[in-house]
Amino acid sequence: MPKRVCSGQATVMEYTVEKCSSLPAKFKKLLVPGRIQHILCTGNLCTKESYDYLKTLASDVHVVRGDFDENLNYPEQKVVTVGQFRIGLCHGHQVVPWGEPDSLALIQRQLDVDILISGHTHKFEAYEQENKFYINPGSATGAYNPLDTSIIPSFVLMDIQSSTVVTYVYQLVGDEVKVERIEYKKS
Amino acid sequence: MPMTPQLSPVEEQERLLDEALSVVKIQALQMKRCLDRSKLMDGLKHASTMLGELRTSLLSPKSYYELYMAITDELRHLEFYLFDEFQKGRKVADLYELVQYAGNIVPRLYLLITVGLVYIKTNTCLKRNLLKDMVEMCRGVQHPLRGLFLRNYLLQCTRNVLPDVAEPGDESEGSVRDSIDFILMNFAEMNKLWVRMQHQGHSRDRERREREREELRILVGTNLVRLSQLETVNLDKYKKLVLPGILEQAVSCRDAIAQEYLMECIIQVFPDEFHLQTLHAFLKSCAELQLGVNVKNIIISLIDRLATFSQRADASVGTTGIPSDVRLFDVFSDQVSTIIQSRQDMPPEDIVALQVSLVNLAHKCYPDRVDYVDKVLLTTLQIFQKLNTDRIEYNSPVSRELTRLMKIPVDNYNSLLTILQLQHYGPLLDLFDYHGRKNLAAYLVNNALDNETQIPTQEQVDAVLTMLSSLIQDQLDQPPGEEDPEDFAEEQGLLGRFIHHLRSDIPDQQYLILSTARKHFGAGAKRRIKYTLPPIVFQAYQLAFKYRALRNEDEMWEKKCQKIFQFCHQTITALITAELAELPLRLFLQGAIAVGLMEFENYETVAYEFMSQAFSLYEDEISDSKAQLAAITLIAATFEQMSCFSEENHEPLRTQCALAASKLLKKPDQCRGVATCSHLFWSGKRASTGGKEMRDGKRVLECLKKGVRIGNQCMDPSVQVQLFVELLNHYIYFYEKDNEQVSVQVLNQLIGKIREELPNLEANEETEQINKHFTNTLEHLRNRLESPESEGLSYEGLIL
Amino acid sequence: MSFFGFGQSADIDISLDGTENRKMAEIKSEDGKKERHFLYYDGETVSGKVNVTLKKPGSKLEHQGIKIEFVGQIELYYDRGNHHEFTSLVKELARPGELIQNTLYAFEFLNVEKPFESYTGSNVRLRYFLRVTVVRRLSDVVKELDIVVHTLSCYPDMNNSIKMEVGIEDCLHIEFEYNKSKYHLKDVIVGKIYFLLVRIKIKNMEIAIIKRETTGSGPNTFTENETIAKYEIMDGAPVRGESIPIRVFLAGYDLTPSMRDINKKFSVRYYLNLVLMDEEDRRYFKQQEITLWRKGEKTRKNLQTSPSPQLLVTGGAESFIPAHNHSSDPQDPAGTIEDMKQDTNEEEHSSKMTVQTADAHGDACSTNLTADGMDE
Repeated sequence: MPKRVCSGQATVMEYTVEKCSSLPAKFKKLLVPGRIQHILCTGNLCTKESYDYLKTLASDVHVVRGDFDENLNYPEQKVVTVGQFRIGLCHGHQVVPWGEPDSLALIQRQLDVDILISGHTHKFEAYEQENKFYINPGSATGAYNPLDTSIIPSFVLMDIQSSTVVTYVYQLVGDEVKVERIEYKKS
Repeated sequence: MPMTPQLSPVEEQERLLDEALSVVKIQALQMKRCLDRSKLMDGLKHASTMLGELRTSLLSPKSYYELYMAITDELRHLEFYLFDEFQKGRKVADLYELVQYAGNIVPRLYLLITVGLVYIKTNTCLKRNLLKDMVEMCRGVQHPLRGLFLRNYLLQCTRNVLPDVAEPGDESEGSVRDSIDFILMNFAEMNKLWVRMQHQGHSRDRERREREREELRILVGTNLVRLSQLETVNLDKYKKLVLPGILEQAVSCRDAIAQEYLMECIIQVFPDEFHLQTLHAFLKSCAELQLGVNVKNIIISLIDRLATFSQRADASVGTTGIPSDVRLFDVFSDQVSTIIQSRQDMPPEDIVALQVSLVNLAHKCYPDRVDYVDKVLLTTLQIFQKLNTDRIEYNSPVSRELTRLMKIPVDNYNSLLTILQLQHYGPLLDLFDYHGRKNLAAYLVNNALDNETQIPTQEQVDAVLTMLSSLIQDQLDQPPGEEDPEDFAEEQGLLGRFIHHLRSDIPDQQYLILSTARKHFGAGAKRRIKYTLPPIVFQAYQLAFKYRALRNEDEMWEKKCQKIFQFCHQTITALITAELAELPLRLFLQGAIAVGLMEFENYETVAYEFMSQAFSLYEDEISDSKAQLAAITLIAATFEQMSCFSEENHEPLRTQCALAASKLLKKPDQCRGVATCSHLFWSGKRASTGGKEMRDGKRVLECLKKGVRIGNQCMDPSVQVQLFVELLNHYIYFYEKDNEQVSVQVLNQLIGKIREELPNLEANEETEQINKHFTNTLEHLRNRLESPESEGLSYEGLIL
Repeated sequence: MSFFGFGQSADIDISLDGTENRKMAEIKSEDGKKERHFLYYDGETVSGKVNVTLKKPGSKLEHQGIKIEFVGQIELYYDRGNHHEFTSLVKELARPGELIQNTLYAFEFLNVEKPFESYTGSNVRLRYFLRVTVVRRLSDVVKELDIVVHTLSCYPDMNNSIKMEVGIEDCLHIEFEYNKSKYHLKDVIVGKIYFLLVRIKIKNMEIAIIKRETTGSGPNTFTENETIAKYEIMDGAPVRGESIPIRVFLAGYDLTPSMRDINKKFSVRYYLNLVLMDEEDRRYFKQQEITLWRKGEKTRKNLQTSPSPQLLVTGGAESFIPAHNHSSDPQDPAGTIEDMKQDTNEEEHSSKMTVQTADAHGDACSTNLTADGMDE
């Protein structure tokens, strides 16, 4: 019997423990175990402990390898299907130039996905291009990045209902968590 | 001959109890009948016979209790009857004397109490004397079990008639003073009886006896409850009469079980306000208790109660519940040490447990008195010195208690900085063996992480890291052998995270902090530094950015930045000597980017050094082909981002990248590597041209062509097609970036080649993926064809 | 025969003066039944009327004289023939002659001496009675009327407490104290036992009131011990330092005043016997004589109207009062030293018995705590 998954919630984040201590407390409060079905992580968990923490939030955790991940078991790229969507996951340090939309489009095409999630730049982005959706969740830990010293910690929550994805971006600006909503419809 | 079955002890008890209860039932019935017919004397006779059952020595305390309950229940009929008669004015003169003719003492005294109560209720001026008389006469029963229950009956009967006025209106009615005397005497006698149980019978029954005593203790404790219920017992009376009376008995009975119970009882039964004012007396008595008494539990119980009380009072009144004249901590501290001194046999874990409760007390009652906590730690330290303990074995009882002690300040302050103020914390921590120290160190680190505690000065960092040395460096007492790698990784990971908390907002201070941290962690041996040094490097990079941001305020900034990168360079080099390659490579690359943005004097040279270090690592240390591809990709991607190099330095680096890519072992890797490197010639930036992109379309095309050439050399058709599709995408990328060197014809060529090869591939998942990739690429092109962008990029002539 | 059988006879009836105001007292008859008679004291006049009623009215009664005697006598049961009259007064009511009708005679023994108290014991009885005799040639017509005599109260001049320390070496030391040495019959014994040393497992402790009646003299001395009361004062084993209260109400028991050498015929003495029983049923005891005396009955009215503890006996609560009929209890040792000796084979305490004399205030100072089977 085919398993019918037509909707779900996924949290998307990049962890980056190497360069920072841990998730901000305000984020930890928002991430209540059991509410989220999938976690898609763009990498740099670095330690097993971080992975174990994610596992406490949701049983379905997908991780790709970041530039500082030692764990060779994490793939470089990954495709996850949630409902009607194929979602591609890639850390992004392998894409030259980093974070450039046209470069990312190459990956999108290669992976044949509706949504491509990538990270590495530690800067939140979400845009549609050629009817495909691109998300960069930024860094949930707000870790250091030499290319941008004012990092805003952020992560993304995706609410997937049939052919619509509503994306909520949580950003920690100063001491406050700001939420933004972006909708994407698959044609 | 009928066989009498052997009865088990339990059955035997049941049988005896049943027999007694049936006598009680019959006699009670007859008693009530006689009373109904106003034949008091006959009624008394039956009551006496019924009470005679309580003379038994055969019943266990449990059964005796049941019997007692049944009988005293029946006695209430007699009491009601007599009370009724007395109310009606039909007094039976000399009844109090009359019941005393009963030949046996147990029934006699039960009757005496029953009648005495009726007298008191109907004629309160007899109260004082009768109470005295009854409690005195009960001395006649010296049998522990029977005496305890008799006196319990006395206590139950008199509970509502005890005088509870401060000053007697009428001398003969008595005052609370008489009640106190009465209960104290009854208490003392009951306690003696209860203690005596311990010394009766065979020693092999000791366990059973102690169990039975446990069952009966509530009878003794009820006296104290009754005392606490006297409303006119104020602090003064408690201090002068009640408590001394109880303590005198508790101490003098010299019975561990009784002492433990009674002290606990005092604590639980009387109000905290009283305890606060009588600490000296109470604790002094604690020191005098038998050696077998668990004084620890008593003290802990009191401390916990008072601590809770003070917090409760805090919450309700907003002021501390501890009166200012009560120096709670000092009193406890002094008395606890007296107790420890007087009890040489006290196991060290119990001594430490006492210190635990002292610390709890200090925390709860005097939350801002860090010195109190430190004093306890000092005392504990001295205790171990006295005991000549220089190592505390992990998981031993002492170790568990001491761990508990050490965790309390951590949990309460939730600040490692406050822990640092405790001068004796470190020395005490050093008493633990390796596992104990490590365990506690991890606890400290976790606490700092959870509370986001930042350690803001070099001195503090030095102190903290010294305290955590069991995690940071190999220890002299470290047991040989491998530890669980997962645990080790986790613990080192913790440290890695903790390093981000070593942070000052003052850059110079931060530098000192990092140097100190580097010193500590640098001594951590190979297996540790890969976890701990990278965070230091990242912290240092961040610090450099801070100096750069302050370049207008700090004229030394350039020097300092240089120093920082020197520091990073050394630190990364330390990782190389630990036979690591990929990690230092990545750190050099990160450093190169950072340096590239610094613009301090000579920064290009430093950046170049970092890049060249990365290349050296790549060339000398990385041999795995997959890792090589990943490394060269990362080098290229990093380099692509940088714009600090003049042509003089840029040229060798980009060339080196492309060269390295083309020298990869596997053809597909070569192909992908050169494709990646092609970007260096397009979006690569040089300082000499003001950071503009190179846009060297020719060199880009050369790279891509080389890629195609290498692709052609691939034997596996599937891989070959896959590489062509990827290359096609690169071509498209550059075509769309207006690289004039890339023409539609080239695209058509490549598309044609893919079209040609694709159908020949084996139908499998991989092919399907390649197909999809290709289709998506064509789809993209189709989109562009159909809706050309305004800039005039045109795919004219493209054959799809 | 017909002469005797059909001859005249008479009924004699003795009535006392002032009976409406005179108290009656109870005394046991020889066979143990309780009787009630009018109560007189020493020196009181005994007066009254004697009514002689002829059985056959109309015919005469010939007699040798009519007299009335007031007799006080001691009867020793083992010597039925010899009644020792210590008092015998005679009054002649009529000289010899004939009675032809019912006749009433008044009599009076003025201020008659009654030196002893009426008493009925196990071997001896002391009684007072009036006897009217119509003396006849062949058989006298006799009528007797008993009265009861209580001695006048005589308050003791000295009444010290009894205080004594007794014990068996290294085994048991106690100090006991009775508040008085002389108790009136409705008195209360108050005291306490203080345990100085306890090395035996005591089961219980009781106080017995023992009455010792001695009759006869010389080789013909008979002694009868009777336990009047047995009263448990302690249940269980005390430890050193315990002090056990004693309180015994005497009114409920069948007691007489102590009597000493009554007319050289008998004595009645009372002892308090403190008995400790250990778990092996050995008994340790100490007897101490007390003097019982009769207190002046000033509270006459009260006694008539309020139910005294004695009523309890008639109320049927036998088990309630350890009166001497308790001695039928099979577990009850007969309460004499001699009997107790038979209870045991234990000899070991005998020689170790110690004697400790209490301070000078003690009344009686002969002092052994006697262990079972102790001595000959």
